[in-house]
Amino acid sequence: MLKFSRNKLVSIARKDPDTLRIHGVLDDDLYGLEMEILVRLSDLKLISVSGKWNRWTTPECPKALSFLGIAVGFCIDEEGLEQKIQKTIGRRACRHFATLLIECCDSVKEVVRIIQWEEFRIKHPGLTFEEFLSGLSPDSSGSDTTRHVSMESDRIQDSQEPIQVLERIREVDSVPDRALGGMVIDLHTHSYPASSCSSVSEDQLIEESKRIGLDGICLTDHNYVWNPDRVKNLTQKHGFLVLRGNEITTDQGHMLVFGLDLDIREKGIIKLDELRREVKKADGYMIVVHPFRGFLTFGVERLGLNLEKAMKRPLFKYVDAIEVMNGKVTREENDFASRVADGLGLSGIGGSDAHKASEVGLYATRFQNSIVDEKDMIEMLKRGKFSPVAFRKRNKGILKKNRTATT
Amino acid sequence: MTDILSFTRNRCTSVEVIDDQTIRSFCRLQDTLTEAFVEITAQLPDLEITAVEGDIQRTHRKECLDSTEFLQKVRGVRIGPGMLEIIKGLLEETTECKELIFMLQECCHGVILSLTKDILLKAPEDQEGKIEFFSKMVRNNIRLYNRCAAFAPGSRLVEGLDPS
Repeated sequence: MLKFSRNKLVSIARKDPDTLRIHGVLDDDLYGLEMEILVRLSDLKLISVSGKWNRWTTPECPKALSFLGIAVGFCIDEEGLEQKIQKTIGRRACRHFATLLIECCDSVKEVVRIIQWEEFRIKHPGLTFEEFLSGLSPDSSGSDTTRHVSMESDRIQDSQEPIQVLERIREVDSVPDRALGGMVIDLHTHSYPASSCSSVSEDQLIEESKRIGLDGICLTDHNYVWNPDRVKNLTQKHGFLVLRGNEITTDQGHMLVFGLDLDIREKGIIKLDELRREVKKADGYMIVVHPFRGFLTFGVERLGLNLEKAMKRPLFKYVDAIEVMNGKVTREENDFASRVADGLGLSGIGGSDAHKASEVGLYATRFQNSIVDEKDMIEMLKRGKFSPVAFRKRNKGILKKNRTATT
Repeated sequence: MTDILSFTRNRCTSVEVIDDQTIRSFCRLQDTLTEAFVEITAQLPDLEITAVEGDIQRTHRKECLDSTEFLQKVRGVRIGPGMLEIIKGLLEETTECKELIFMLQECCHGVILSLTKDILLKAPEDQEGKIEFFSKMVRNNIRLYNRCAAFAPGSRLVEGLDPS
């Protein structure tokens, strides 16, 4: 018996010589929705977009309809259309409408080929579709545009439209970290443009770190190797310790790597065991970050992932430490990571995973000794002389509920 | 112009529970120009992809006529946050057939939606109960906040949440 089924249906007809009418339907166990789109053939622009809900889940889902018009003016042929739809329709309206709209737009690209062939056939009767395609340039037989991007990933953030992130602040220890000596460094941050998902420059990130009283910050942008001289200049410019690392995407998830100058972008997605060999060769240090980041509506415990099974994940054989305090996951997910680290005898670090200035220092790592450069930090990491801390204090504690009366 | 269609597409993604540890997800595409399928098997609790196969039976895209052996590269990848980036990264260096990559992603989304269904089946039937249920969901997982219109500022589901 099927547990779940999703059907997407797209029908396209020619409304008039310059207009396509597209009707899209998405029907699955959870949602039923439809879209009506008009596309002008002469410039491939969406001239009308509307939608209809047949079935939905939350009482507020119908609100999505008022945002569908954002897509008017989008061009079928524009670079990065799918990502644009995800960022706009997906975020402002609904990801399921975005999915259907992407399916409709992709179908339009196909029908344009058919129309071109039909028009070509007027002068060349008997020309088959395959012959027509063979006569086109090599690039035109397939779509060159980037097809699909991460829908689950936190990296999709529009720097022009800052998304408010609601931070769930934990109660922190009454003893300020500074009283314990050592240095507190945020080991996990992202800056723009090195990370396209960040909305804060490295200068702003550093200034905010100084303002809140951190002792240092690591720039750990996605698959990006910071130039060491540039980072030294930042330290001098701001009078503040700035160190560099790299958050590398592997086949087993994201890893924070320190002491490795390898530019992963050339290798694409690197296998974790291969990265481990590179880190070992470079005498570096590798930390798995947010290892138990769950899904939007359920966590990993829903999958039956208990402590014993989680500890058996092969990836833990390849890392030196685990990020047990990450600013972008739930408290439960952080706690679970902490229990796994304890069970495996691995050290835990803290990092904000900041993508905005206001996020930096939410969590950090306290080192027992003074650190002046990258070499010092890697040494301290290897000696295990550190612990994760919740650093950024807020006056407001647990979220308050203040519902208005409903009639 | 008549109302005769110039193009139709039908994409179906289905998820089946094989046993209490194994889920199979299948995506099939049939449209005017293309016919293809991709199937994955994932193992709980990590949702690790343990098997994958796929084929394109009809297409005009030359890049999709090659062997589909490249799909095996995703074996061992876990379905979860960040999976699309990993799948794309692993496969795009080997193939230009974006359709099969997309269908693989659809299979993965199907698995996630099938698990989401289990959660949503617990939502109460009454309106007040639903509001409470989904409000609690956002409070338990702040990543949901402002993810869509239903969870955006002004929605009853996020009433009382202080964005600062």
